[in-house]
This record gives sequence, C-alpha cells and structure tokens, in this order.
Amino acid sequence: MKFSRSAIEAWNRFWFDPGPATRLGLARAVFCLVAFLFYLPHDFSEWATAAPFWMPIWLFDNLHLPVLSVTSLAAAQSIWKLSLALTGIGLFTRASNVVAAVLGTYLLGLPHNFGATQHYDTLVVFALWILAFSRAGDAYSLDALRRRAQHRRQRPTFDAEYSWPIRAMWVMTALMFFGAGTSKLRHSGIEWALSDNLQLLLVRAYYHVSDGDPLTSLGLTVARHAWLSRAIACGALALETLYLVTLFSRRLRPFVGIGGMFFFVGIRALMGPTFEPYLVCGLFLIPWHRAEAAVLRVLYNARSYAPHAAGDPTGAGHVPTAAASSSSVRSAAGH
Amino acid sequence: MTVLRRIIVNGLLAFLVCGSLYDITRDQEHWPFSQYPMFSGIWRATTFRWYRLVGVRDDGGEVVLDRARYIQPFDQSRLHLAFVQLALRSDADKAIHAAVANCLARYERQRTLGEHDGPPLRAMRLYLLEWHLDPEARNVDHPDGRQLVAEARNVRGYEVQ
Repeated sequence: MKFSRSAIEAWNRFWFDPGPATRLGLARAVFCLVAFLFYLPHDFSEWATAAPFWMPIWLFDNLHLPVLSVTSLAAAQSIWKLSLALTGIGLFTRASNVVAAVLGTYLLGLPHNFGATQHYDTLVVFALWILAFSRAGDAYSLDALRRRAQHRRQRPTFDAEYSWPIRAMWVMTALMFFGAGTSKLRHSGIEWALSDNLQLLLVRAYYHVSDGDPLTSLGLTVARHAWLSRAIACGALALETLYLVTLFSRRLRPFVGIGGMFFFVGIRALMGPTFEPYLVCGLFLIPWHRAEAAVLRVLYNARSYAPHAAGDPTGAGHVPTAAASSSSVRSAAGH
Repeated sequence: MTVLRRIIVNGLLAFLVCGSLYDITRDQEHWPFSQYPMFSGIWRATTFRWYRLVGVRDDGGEVVLDRARYIQPFDQSRLHLAFVQLALRSDADKAIHAAVANCLARYERQRTLGEHDGPPLRAMRLYLLEWHLDPEARNVDHPDGRQLVAEARNVRGYEVQ
C-alpha cells in the first residue's frame, strides 16, 4: 500500500511538476516551424503510383487505411504542412495540432507500407500526438494574443500542463535510444562493438545502399583503423543503452542529450541514413526559455548601459532571471 | 489541471510508454512503436549482394540507376528491401516483373515532366549485384558479379508491359 502510494507520487512528480508555459510554447513553435520547413519539399503523392510494392504494416492493415490517389495525397500533404505551420505560429493551435497528428501519422507511415519499415520519423509522430493532447498554444501563440485582445480568461503561466509534454518527449527519445541499444545487444551481444562489424558497415555505406549517401568520406578513414571503429562502436552502444540516465540525472542530461545529437550527425556524415527528423525532434528538448532569458539579459544589460538609461536607479545591477524574463515576454506577447 | 485532464493525459502517457516497452521487450515492431532494430546484426562477410535497377537506353547501353532521384519515391535501401520481400512470395517472378515495370513507368513519367535529368529508357532491368568490399569503395561502379532478375520493356506510346 505504502509502496504503491509512493510509486504514484513519484509518477506524478515526474510528469506533473509545474513548469512554465513559455517553455512548452517555445518548444512547440520551434519544433513545428522547423518540421514544416523540413517537410515542405517532401512529396508523398508519388506513393500512390507504387501499387505493386504495397505491403501494409499493421497500422494500415488493421485500420484498413488505403493508399489515396495522387490528387488526394497531394491535398492531404498540403493540409498537413499548413497545419504544421499553423501549429508553429499558434493559430487555432488545438485544431491544427490534431490535424497535424492525424495526417502526419498517415503520411509519415505511408512509405513504410512499401517493403521496409524505417525508423527515422517515429519520434515526429509521437511529438505530434503529444502536442495534440497538450496545451502548447497557451504561450507564444497567436491564440494567446487573440485571447488577450478579447479580454478572455488568461491561462496560468506556470502549471503541470506545461511539463508533461516535455517529459514525454524525453521519455520517448530515451526509449528510442534504449531500444536501439538493447536490439544490438540482443541480436549480436557485445561482439557488435568489439568485432569488425562497424568497419564493414562503414565501407558498405559507400556502395549506395542507404536512403542517403554519407555526407563525407570520413567513414572510409575511420574504417581503416580497427581500434577507432571499435571505440566508436563502443561509444555508440554505451550512449544508446545508457541514454535512459537522462530521465533521472539532471546533471548528465545536457551532456548525454548533446551526445545523442552528435550521434545522429555522425551517422549521417559517416554512414548516410537520414536521421534528420530526430534532430528536428531534438529541438523539442532544448530549454528555449533559458536561451530566451539569456538573450533578454543581454538586451537588458545593453539597455542599462545605454547613455539614456544611465541615470535609472532601478535598473542598476538587476539582471532578469529565466522566470522574470519569461513573464516580461509574456506580457509583451499578450499573456 | 482538472481530474479529467489528468486521467486523459495519464492514459496517453501509459499508452506511449507501454507501447514502446512492449515492442522493445518482445522484439517486435508496430510502427510508430518499434524496437529499433536498425544495424543490430553483425556484419562478418566481406561481400554483399544488393538489388539495383539498371536502365537500358535506346542505343542498348545500360545506365545504373543508383541515384535516388531516378527511383523516387523509393531510395536504394527501401527499394532493395522491397525486392527482397517480393522475392519471398510464391508468385515472386510475376510480382517482381510488375514492380520493375512500375518503376520504369514512373521513371519515364517523371522524366517527361522534367523531374529528373535521366536519359529516355527503352527498358529497365533488375540485377542482383555482388561486391567484394574494397576499403576505398573503388569498385562501387564495377560489381564483382551480377545476376539478371527481371526486365520490363517500354513500348513507346503504350503503357509499360
């Protein structure tokens, strides 16, 4: 009884510790706008012409989802991209979010029905659904400005509503890394890192076998040195398997998180697979409200030292904190 | 945060976490949930085989379609894996021929629309190419072995057969 109560308390503390609306609002804006720009040139409509390759995955099979026609796919992707942009700027945020999640799941899932399930966009789908259930439009959004202009009841600026979506993205990212690490250990054991495996994979990558060719020839250079290949493989395996530590260690989180981003950049540069969508999702995890606070501090200091402000006694020595600057921006943005 | 909201959010969180853990522990894949098995096997062989589409120009010369723009919306990884799947079917010959014809029709349509700069093709062939890995990948354009798997011809003015 005592154990279950403390487990529930730990669960609630982890997910529902109150957080600032600005953090989620900024994460939504950055993630959705970058995702919009990233997917803007992508054309999903050609999948309608590849019928002989159709091999539906469980989601499409169970929901009896067909391949739409070229025209319908073109329309669906236009609506999806528009909904991403609207979610980014926070206009009709809730509705746009739901449309982005539903159409995003269909469009991003569609290619996997043609012979191979690849894994570069799963986090994007999770992010869209997490946002669809969240109150991500309460800050840094046109909706918030409209709400203020219409003198409607303001949302709280600090609430549990703004923490759980960020934590959910932490958890899904950590589980993705953990899954990849444990898959390697399950299928190959530690030999995955200590054998010639990565050397051979690196060389093979230069034979046009991936969805993208390596961006550099560094992979061949690394493959020439067995010790270097093994060291990188050990590092990659350790990072993947131990990524879960980011959920519990505030101190290690930024280092492991940045390591994860470099991991994807390294794969793209050395091996080719296009994991860019994971980098886009990584933007969700960056505490943008702290970057915002730092920028505001710089601006504030610049203004404080300006000749016209030199005589202002209230400004001397006062530097905005993350919370203070968040609220000042909120007032400026109409919160 | 209201009680109802908390119930809904907890349901979503439980679904996401349990769905992921289920696939990871069971070594299964239910996209978007996955156990993320990419590159999880060990490569020991210094040779490998890969399906590759090759175009046949009007002069009979072959052009290897190893650039993604010629096989859109596929890429070299997905296309190979798709042919591996088709080759496992009981009607593999028919299914693979239909798939190659489909690639040729799409290639020609995209070419006439100016979506790529490839030459006009009178046929498309599917080869299973084999390479001995070279540390510098110098033989990427000269595979050590190749086996013709299927060919689809383009009858000008008609649908690809």
